Amino acid sequence: MSRERALAVARVAVLGVAIVVALFPFWWMLVTSLKQPVDIFRGVSLVPQHPTGDNYSRLFGDYHMGSFLVNSLIVVTVSVAVSLVLGTLAAYALARFRLRFGLNQSALVAALLVRTLPPILLVIPLYLTLTKYGLLNTRLGLIVIYGGLNTSFVIWMMQSFLEEIPKDIEEAAMVDGDSRLRALFRVVLPLAAPGIAATAIFSVITTYNDFLLALTLTSTPAAQTVPVGVSTLIGKIQIEWGPMAAAGVVGALPIMIFAIIVQRHFVRGLTFGAVK
Amino acid sequence: MGTSSVAVPARGRRGSELWARLLASPWLLLAPAAIALAAVAAYPLIYGVRASFHAYRYGRDVGSAGLENYRAIFEDHTFWTALGTTAKYVALAVSIETLLGLGLALLVASQLRFSRFIRVSLVLPMTVAPVVVGVIWRLMYASDIGVVNPLFSALGLGKPNVLANPGSAFLGVVAVDVWEWTPLLFLIILAGLQSLPQEPIEAARVDGAGPVRVFFDHTLPLLRPVLMVAVVLRLIDAVGTFDQIFVLTKGGPGTATQLISTYSYNTAFQFTQYGRGMAMVVSLLVLVLLLTIVAIKLMRNAAARTSS
Repeated sequence: MSRERALAVARVAVLGVAIVVALFPFWWMLVTSLKQPVDIFRGVSLVPQHPTGDNYSRLFGDYHMGSFLVNSLIVVTVSVAVSLVLGTLAAYALARFRLRFGLNQSALVAALLVRTLPPILLVIPLYLTLTKYGLLNTRLGLIVIYGGLNTSFVIWMMQSFLEEIPKDIEEAAMVDGDSRLRALFRVVLPLAAPGIAATAIFSVITTYNDFLLALTLTSTPAAQTVPVGVSTLIGKIQIEWGPMAAAGVVGALPIMIFAIIVQRHFVRGLTFGAVK
Repeated sequence: MGTSSVAVPARGRRGSELWARLLASPWLLLAPAAIALAAVAAYPLIYGVRASFHAYRYGRDVGSAGLENYRAIFEDHTFWTALGTTAKYVALAVSIETLLGLGLALLVASQLRFSRFIRVSLVLPMTVAPVVVGVIWRLMYASDIGVVNPLFSALGLGKPNVLANPGSAFLGVVAVDVWEWTPLLFLIILAGLQSLPQEPIEAARVDGAGPVRVFFDHTLPLLRPVLMVAVVLRLIDAVGTFDQIFVLTKGGPGTATQLISTYSYNTAFQFTQYGRGMAMVVSLLVLVLLLTIVAIKLMRNAAARTSS
């Protein structure tokens, strides 16, 4: 009995340590962002001695955080919307039709390959191509690229969600006189709404978080996204710790909220539906 | 799918029926996505491989260079160092993450009461942008305003100044990777554990097998497919690590944390040697593909041996 008790205590202790290790760095960033410069340099203190919003007002005043947020909002919203439309239509075709030449399987594999390509492999040619078409440092350029790349993820996720919806439902609608496309929009997609929501949120998270592509393809606050904006605060000769911490907090917050909403679907999103 | 439109009562002219039929064709549904993927993935990939055989002067393509770029990186010491560092980084980070993730998942799997809160808090590190992760750890490691130095000196271990020395900087960036990505392994393994069939495990327990025996004889073999998915996904991602390194060390001090990703990025965008940068990334990709094929072969062989 006491051995089991000891085990339980050990288990709680290990988990406690794990949680502190996972969460403390976030706390440190938040605390630093609320400190005055003098206090930042005055040794470790786990709460701000004289809390201030100065770092945040400087972040938005001197460091263009407002523009970065607007750019990210536009780029993420439009590109995710585009990829949801393109990807869901393709996913529906793959889930419901048996294509010739075993194309269903190879299309899914191709989508997975695109998703797993490291951005470093694509960034040089994408940079050269966007230069050619004058789309460098524009939101449109980012929208096209994110929209296209994310389509692969949407295909994969939505195919797995759509397959779970029984065929009979839309066939009944089609017997009642709907065309297939009408049946898709009227019957199937409403049933797949939770899946679409989860897919959308995942897409938002990965698109918003991307750094390498945005870093290379944009160069001024006219088009730079939040992660690139955050990194510009580090490039300075003397690091401004306060605004940098504030930028980290602003950059992390929207995504943390989204992540908590979608945490039930996390595993599925991370493994492309392989593990549910 | 001709049969479906038969059920539709003839509505309007022939033209609109043809239109409806076209709209319901799987090929038409697939076409937009296929075009998008071709434009932003297939085309750049081909363009990029082609660029690796071209010479660039002041950022301009000045024609074919044959294998010159590949010869140049082959003779470039920094390239080999970066390749070695990438391999060490990936191997070290992913194995620690797998062990920690597995351990944590085993701890939590049987304790459903807390697992919701625990799950959310353990998962947060991997949800935020890698750039933010970099910022967080700049703040933790900083020699003047950070937490790591005071913590080490309080434990009587001196002041490590993690990012200032080559050895500790490498371990420092690996630790950041572990902090960020252990949650991924943890989550997937936890989902795998919770969906395992309980009967063989219960049966073994009833037969008097200890927890360690049960784990190695039953849980681990059953868990293997899920574990493979998790590790392979993480490996692929880790090879391309860029963001945190860029924010934390830019590859330094010296070349201590220079990975192929950061080195090829510098080659292309600081020195406008697009062809040479591309040759590095293509070499990395080919290497990874070869390793994947070998790994799959080995796994198949192992699976065949255990099942026979």
